[in-house]
Amino acid sequence: MRLSVLKALARQAGSVATTLLGLLALTFFMGRMLPTDPVLAIVGDQADQATHDMVYHQLGLDKPLYMQFFLYIRSMLSGDFGNALFTGHRVADDLMKVFPATVELATFAIIIGVGVGVPLGVLAAVYRGSIIDHVARVVGLLGYSTPSFWLGLMGLILFYATLGWVGGPGRLDVAYMDSIDTHTGFTTIDALLDGDMDVFWNAVRHIVLPASILGYTSMAYISRMTRSFMLEQMAQEYMVAARVKGLSGWAVIRRHAFRNILVQLVTVIALAYAFLLEGAVLTETVFAWPGFGHYLVSGLLAGDMNAVLACVLLVGIIFIGLNLLTDVLYRLLDPRTR
Amino acid sequence: MARAISAAVASIVVLLSAGGARAETPRDALVMAWNLDALITFDPAQIGEVNGADIIVGNVCSTLVQYDPKDTSKILPGMAESWSSSPDGLTLTFKLRSDLKFPDGTPATAEDAAWSMQRAVLLGYFSSSNLTQWGFNKEQITDQIQAPDATTLVLKLSKPYPAPLLLSAAFANNSVAVILSKAVGLKNEKVVDGKSDLGNAFFKTGPVCVGPYHVTRWNANDVVTLERNEIYFGPKPNLKRIIIRHVPESSAERLLLEKGDVDVARLLNTDDLKALESNKDIHIEQTLIHGLSYLALNTNDPILGNAKVREAMRYLIDYDGLKDTILPYKGVPRADLVPEGAFGALDRKEGQPFSLDLVKAKQLLTEAGYPDGFSKKMILGANDIAPAIAQHIATNAAKVGIKLELEQMADANLFTRGRNRDFEVQLVGWYSGYPDADAMVNRFAVDPDPRPEAKLVAVPVWRTGWQNTDINAKAEAARLEQDPEKRAEMYREIQTFMMHNGPMVFIYQFVRPIAVRTSVKGFVIAPFGVNYGSASK
Repeated sequence: MRLSVLKALARQAGSVATTLLGLLALTFFMGRMLPTDPVLAIVGDQADQATHDMVYHQLGLDKPLYMQFFLYIRSMLSGDFGNALFTGHRVADDLMKVFPATVELATFAIIIGVGVGVPLGVLAAVYRGSIIDHVARVVGLLGYSTPSFWLGLMGLILFYATLGWVGGPGRLDVAYMDSIDTHTGFTTIDALLDGDMDVFWNAVRHIVLPASILGYTSMAYISRMTRSFMLEQMAQEYMVAARVKGLSGWAVIRRHAFRNILVQLVTVIALAYAFLLEGAVLTETVFAWPGFGHYLVSGLLAGDMNAVLACVLLVGIIFIGLNLLTDVLYRLLDPRTR
Repeated sequence: MARAISAAVASIVVLLSAGGARAETPRDALVMAWNLDALITFDPAQIGEVNGADIIVGNVCSTLVQYDPKDTSKILPGMAESWSSSPDGLTLTFKLRSDLKFPDGTPATAEDAAWSMQRAVLLGYFSSSNLTQWGFNKEQITDQIQAPDATTLVLKLSKPYPAPLLLSAAFANNSVAVILSKAVGLKNEKVVDGKSDLGNAFFKTGPVCVGPYHVTRWNANDVVTLERNEIYFGPKPNLKRIIIRHVPESSAERLLLEKGDVDVARLLNTDDLKALESNKDIHIEQTLIHGLSYLALNTNDPILGNAKVREAMRYLIDYDGLKDTILPYKGVPRADLVPEGAFGALDRKEGQPFSLDLVKAKQLLTEAGYPDGFSKKMILGANDIAPAIAQHIATNAAKVGIKLELEQMADANLFTRGRNRDFEVQLVGWYSGYPDADAMVNRFAVDPDPRPEAKLVAVPVWRTGWQNTDINAKAEAARLEQDPEKRAEMYREIQTFMMHNGPMVFIYQFVRPIAVRTSVKGFVIAPFGVNYGSASK
């Protein structure tokens, strides 16, 4: 029994490692086929051939491709992700800064997305065809189809520039930038750890708008999915049976229909969260949010494979990790798997 | 239910607005918004892009001498209080101030200065060409640059170049004319493959220099902070801190500036600048800088190799029209290869003799043997007005039968294509290294060896495959001409020739628009350097 569990675990770990390696190999070789010369990101258009060749050699680009990949994997396994060419910093250090920024934003966004999306979806299903359903549909469609870039800008003009309710682009006002220490990289948590409520509220002021805009898009997706899951359940015969048994309308919805869609819903939410964690380059750009999405895209444009590979690895791990997490949640939520 | 929700929303709004709504920048700091995407190093010997040069040169690392901000043809003392040339013109001696100190208080000497210059050449990054083009080289550098005592710096030259040219080209506001701490550099050196990096990895994130400020923080794609050096030898900087925030989007930058959350915005597009024009709290400082936008025509192409075809293309640009439509805040029309304001440059009128003339263009094409025109591909980058300029040219070209197919790409690709000669027509820009006609002539007119295997990739004229040995000789003679009047005259002759025969069609000279809140006083913004320490509020 125990042996079989170990075997299963080993198989799981093996498949995760293979997936990640495949992902890295694919990214590496595709990236190297791009016509972008990463050396130019460092030396610029005015550098002569000698400078170019020197840096080309320093970066190991003169070695055969498979050798470069092997060397990269070897140093990666020893924990060294190399330097990001387009920032001049170590990739690991960069990621320690940009990733928490994105996780913080994504977490606020998913809370908003779930907090609004799920109730809206349930209401739309229960009052199908009513005004609530139509409003939910229109709101959802807008969330899908409005470019987040435009929405972000409009949000800034209205809530920041005109009304002054929220903070502007960036994670904090300049006046607060040096007032807390970095513990976790999450500004809100760091402020709480330092017990500085001024900074905490300033951080919230800055995150609330970009998080709402990202959250809006996830909310649209989550509410549409919730609605269709609910409708599916509500058409089942056991619902009628429960009603016949004498349970009130809402009790049936809550105890039976909603509980039964939880497993599917968790998958949807996990996916939505994973997409948010990849970073949203447009939103990050408008809000000058020093996040993962902007970092990844800048690295890609500069042909900086060190940075891109580390980012891809991280995204791969996020997806696999969230997949495993949903597996665990399934077991908790679905009585059949207990 | 509804009441509960609205109460909750209201309380959140109250909480948020209560959370320190300080929409003002700190009194003792200058806050700038800029796009810092290109920033990769602060090591002066490695800097090769605009952000790094702007932040470091003159602000973190002072230079031996400096341009007069009002007139770049004049050289003022900096860390060197005086300089002299030997009678044979082969030795240049700088006398340094005796009160130079690094931020930690240790004295900075001529030995540090010599080491800093030597390492620029030894490291061999782009900026080393500021020295190597005057004959300094890796093999002899320790003999060529010496410090006989703590305040004397002696440079041995291979040829008697005129001193004003040398000072302007290599020692004023130049990233190789700084003083880094030799002790700190050697203490933190890294040896890779048996070769010392001379402190490059260490100085990359914060050079230890003699200068008004030092770098205290650099988070990639986020923020750079500078702190004032209290023991700086020169005029004490007014503001204690300089904070440069990475704000990559023009509209967001504009909102921050209007709101007063930043004092200075440096990446605004034309629409946002126009919108700010009526704001009384904001002043837009436009500086004509030494950079040009141009079309490179690959002369290895049989059609573009024809001088008449190239001349025809010069008549396809509506210079006057561009001035009012696409170029406001961004540029001034110019067809000459030397930017206005440089020593020896043609004046504004002489430097732009062309106008849109389709009849003349058609006639030239007919003479060249292409009465029905031809098709070519034009590659261009992501610069905000590049697509509009390209479209403008393509539209006029179509009227005389020239079909230009536009292909836009990321800058890194655009540069690679140019350096590999892999283009027919390339729309691109170039920053001149120093305000002397010599700088541009030696990149855009002088082609020592047009063969592909010569790989002179840093010489734009080589990329086009064009060469004129007569021009090469004239440029070399001008370089060595001691009489300034004569030297200027020689450059003017080269410019006039190139304007009609060269492989480039120059379009406009760059303008650098910087929007500053009027609460900031005394901010000195010059073509070769924005002096952060001059600002006060």
